[in-house]
Amino acid sequence: MSAAYHILLDIFPLLWSGLITGCLYALGALGLVMIFKSSRVVNFSHGNVAGLAAFLIYGFSSGTLLTLSWSAAVLMAVVAVIAIAFLSYAIVAPIMAKSDLTATIATLSLGLIAQGVTLLVFGADIVPLDLPLPRFSASLLGLRITGYDLTVLAVAVATIVGLFLVIDYTKLGVAFRAISANPIAAEICGLNLRSVHLFAWTVSAVLGVIGALLIVPTTFLSVTTVATFMLQAFAAAVLGGFSSLPGALVGGIAIGILMNLFTFYVSPEFTNTFLLVVILVALNVFPNGIFASTGGTRV
Amino acid sequence: MSDSILTMRQERSSLDLRKMVASERIVAGAIIPVLILLPLFVAGSWTYALGVCFANSIGVLAVSALVRYGGEVSIGHSFFAAVGAYSVAILETRAGLPLSISLPVALVAGVLCGIAFAWPSRRLSGIYLAVSTMALALAMPEIIVNADTWTGGFEGLYVSKPLIPGIGIELQRYYVPLVALAVVVYCLSRLRQSRQGRALLLARSHPAAADAFGTRRAWARVSIMGISGGIAAISGAMLAFASSAVSPTVYTFWSSIFLLVGSVVSFYGLTLPRALIGGAFLTLVPQVLSGSGAWIPVLYGLVMLVVILAGHYGPQLSSILFRRGEKR
Repeated sequence: MSAAYHILLDIFPLLWSGLITGCLYALGALGLVMIFKSSRVVNFSHGNVAGLAAFLIYGFSSGTLLTLSWSAAVLMAVVAVIAIAFLSYAIVAPIMAKSDLTATIATLSLGLIAQGVTLLVFGADIVPLDLPLPRFSASLLGLRITGYDLTVLAVAVATIVGLFLVIDYTKLGVAFRAISANPIAAEICGLNLRSVHLFAWTVSAVLGVIGALLIVPTTFLSVTTVATFMLQAFAAAVLGGFSSLPGALVGGIAIGILMNLFTFYVSPEFTNTFLLVVILVALNVFPNGIFASTGGTRV
Repeated sequence: MSDSILTMRQERSSLDLRKMVASERIVAGAIIPVLILLPLFVAGSWTYALGVCFANSIGVLAVSALVRYGGEVSIGHSFFAAVGAYSVAILETRAGLPLSISLPVALVAGVLCGIAFAWPSRRLSGIYLAVSTMALALAMPEIIVNADTWTGGFEGLYVSKPLIPGIGIELQRYYVPLVALAVVVYCLSRLRQSRQGRALLLARSHPAAADAFGTRRAWARVSIMGISGGIAAISGAMLAFASSAVSPTVYTFWSSIFLLVGSVVSFYGLTLPRALIGGAFLTLVPQVLSGSGAWIPVLYGLVMLVVILAGHYGPQLSSILFRRGEKR
């Protein structure tokens, strides 16, 4: 009786904090899926660019580069990241038309450059990056709910609901769905492929910044933290099937909870190995994602 | 109409290709004697660097073979290299076995790991393989560090047994990787001529036709990953032998990406000169830039991007130039 009670006492906080970090993985995964759905490219520079953005916010607000207020720093970093997204798309788009594989390799090289620039400007040291969060903490059913948790939940829900509303109801969103379903037919119908691609790349970059900003308070900010955070996002996207937005959302939360349970009950040292196993198992059990519709292929 | 233009262009480019292959064969024929005689003339530090360079060249070949025959990109080949390197190192420290026994073991281990790894994603498109290789590369260092009773943890292990007793170990650290590189290049050129190689290429370029001829795509995916994993394991074994030590810092996610950089820089070539270009790029650039380490990723990324863009825009540019030449 008391053993079961203790397990329950352990498991609720684990599920709760898993849900919180899972929302952040979902934000990262949504960005990857947006780009993959519309342009058939896996953007391997996603994590590195988001990491660069987090460092830019640190640099703009701490006085390393500039001394701005926090919101101005965030705004400038978002502008910088959108500029990077446009530039990346301008470089990758012509290659994309010819070979998805080469375009994917090109995003890797962009990621290398982003990583190198971060190292050059900010060095390899760990820096603290604080968020102006409401100081708040409450206890509910044995859970400790902090201001950070609620902020993350609120921002993630607002962003994701907003994104889904845009995709479901606006013209741009309809064009996005049309292009991801059948790019050739969509172009024949007069849709502008380029503007929809740019929409996807921009939204993805902004989602990456939001995810990076919110994940940083749980760890420190170093050159590698955000890039490793993105492995979880990749795992979430694979779990969701890589071309389904709801799949990415559910995958992200599932990964967050699974990771938490694994680090608590098994081992905190093998997190990447665990993710590898999750990815491999997911590929075997749900090869097309959790929400896969079954269908045949035509030869 | 457009079809005939396309085939004409393809014929022209395949003619160019044949010329290039022929010229590369001449270059390879000239390079081999030079490399054999080189240790007589240069200092010991250079033979050491070149030995490491040959080992890296084999790793570059592993990635290029996967791209060429499988149409897949891997950013996790440091895993297979680590499997090879640690097979050699552990067999030496635990059982006292020399390279002549541990190298075949490393090769088999690499092939098995490649097959085991490609199996889950055998029916899926290449991006899944790329993402799971990324997880593989990120998982490897923590496995090595935590299995420290076998792998020596952060400190790593030493590899000091010579392959042939009685000959100076410095010379062996140069010649053994060179011979291995030559053998791998030869085997890959035989693969291109063989039934298996052609079946793999067909499965890559015309999957439906390959299905009709009885080549299953899943088989093609798994077998090329096995071949590539085996080559990468040889590269790791050679790297361990040439640098006389293994440690987890050599087999990280970044080293996987660097292998891909080397492969891109050599235009995914499977010939000896191309492999040497890729290997030299990986070995010599960090030495030259050792004072300013942060520039290495920037430089690698830029070079990779320039090579990709050159490969993309090169044919267009040359055709524009060619037409201008005709008008004159």
